[in-house]
Amino acid sequence: MNDAVDLVSKVLVLDSDPNCYEQIKTFCDANHLVGLKVQPDNVMSVLRSNVDLGGILLSENYDGRPQGGLQMANRIHSIRAELPIFLRRESSNTLDDISPTDRKAISAAYTLDTIASLQNVIGEYIFSLSYPNVLVRGITEITLAALQSQFKGLTVEVAAPYIVRDRLIYGEIFTLIPIESSWCRGYMMLQTEEIALLDLVKADRTHINPEEGFDFRNLNGVLGEVTNLVWGAFKNRYMSDTARSAHLSQVPIVINHLHRYISFGSDNPQLCFKYTLVDTSGGQERHLDIYQKFVFNLNWSPEDFTENLTSVQDLVESGELDLF
Amino acid sequence: MAQILVVDDSSTVRNEVGDFLKANGLSVAFAVDGRDGLTKLKADPAVKLVVCDVNMPNMDGLTMAEKVRSELGNNSVNIIMLTTENSPAMKERGKAAGIKGWIVKPFKGDAVIATFKKLAGA
Repeated sequence: MNDAVDLVSKVLVLDSDPNCYEQIKTFCDANHLVGLKVQPDNVMSVLRSNVDLGGILLSENYDGRPQGGLQMANRIHSIRAELPIFLRRESSNTLDDISPTDRKAISAAYTLDTIASLQNVIGEYIFSLSYPNVLVRGITEITLAALQSQFKGLTVEVAAPYIVRDRLIYGEIFTLIPIESSWCRGYMMLQTEEIALLDLVKADRTHINPEEGFDFRNLNGVLGEVTNLVWGAFKNRYMSDTARSAHLSQVPIVINHLHRYISFGSDNPQLCFKYTLVDTSGGQERHLDIYQKFVFNLNWSPEDFTENLTSVQDLVESGELDLF
Repeated sequence: MAQILVVDDSSTVRNEVGDFLKANGLSVAFAVDGRDGLTKLKADPAVKLVVCDVNMPNMDGLTMAEKVRSELGNNSVNIIMLTTENSPAMKERGKAAGIKGWIVKPFKGDAVIATFKKLAGA
């Protein structure tokens, strides 16, 4: 694969030793990690509210207690087992002297002196898949066009694309559509919050008549059509008509509503985009966050990735009538 | 008696396209998929133009277009596909079914309203 893009990933930094911050920050900066510091009392609430994390950097003596790190690792692992935990230790960069039970919660250990060795582990757990730059840029372009066609007069802000290992579902409205080609097989998900979307419907910022918009089925339709538009544009740009095998594998997708959790049967990190729609009309600012995640759980062969150059060049512009 | 039948499983698209056409003085009926579209067209043969999605549950738009000709025997109604699809193979299938044109979503009404009016006999 060529021209792979350098994506970032957010990691929680749970470390109570301020003397380490500088080195950890330097390591994060050098390895495309965005470190988020959290107070000990807020860790669980942050974990419950954040849906876009890549991992945890945790110190063994977290919160000033010798067993504080291991206890926290177990608490995190029990609710967010998909997040790799990297344990900073004082003298050993192995987990050999840690009990097997505690070891299950931790992906790797490091010391400040050996923090550079964590680079390979980060690559293994977070940046294990690489994505062509043209694909990442293209997804943003086609999604922006879809959002702008379905939401009237809004500003759309796009965060830098990033990698997540989270499996949590954000908000209440969630679409899922297969993405299948000779070089990738998986799903695209869009997730958003109902109340924020309803506010935009009430403000007449969608194609739904505000008087009809209070039925949740109408709200579903808005995100459904954005999904359809992105899916179609993705197919037109990145997939060919080449016939594929009729005997393709599938795996069950498991959703746990209680935990707002979705599993695609794979530990693959997901490619994530966050769009914020901002409406400043009427003196009141409204925001709608939409998370877009790609999980290529069935096949990811970026070395075979191609953009349909001929179709891009010959494309009839969207919205134009091609008369036969 | 509608001039235009909009066939799309997305209520958002039906609203968007329908509101635009009505605001331009056209009468519009709606169907939620290809099967519903066939039923509506059979009940209202005065429809002059069908604007139809491709990917829909129960019956897709291209199958519907083929059945309009083969089962309803309606060779006069104009059919335009409004879809995210842009594959040459699908367009060829549409041509063979006698569709009049193809629009890649998103819908941009101003770009097509003059042609729509002509095809709808307005």
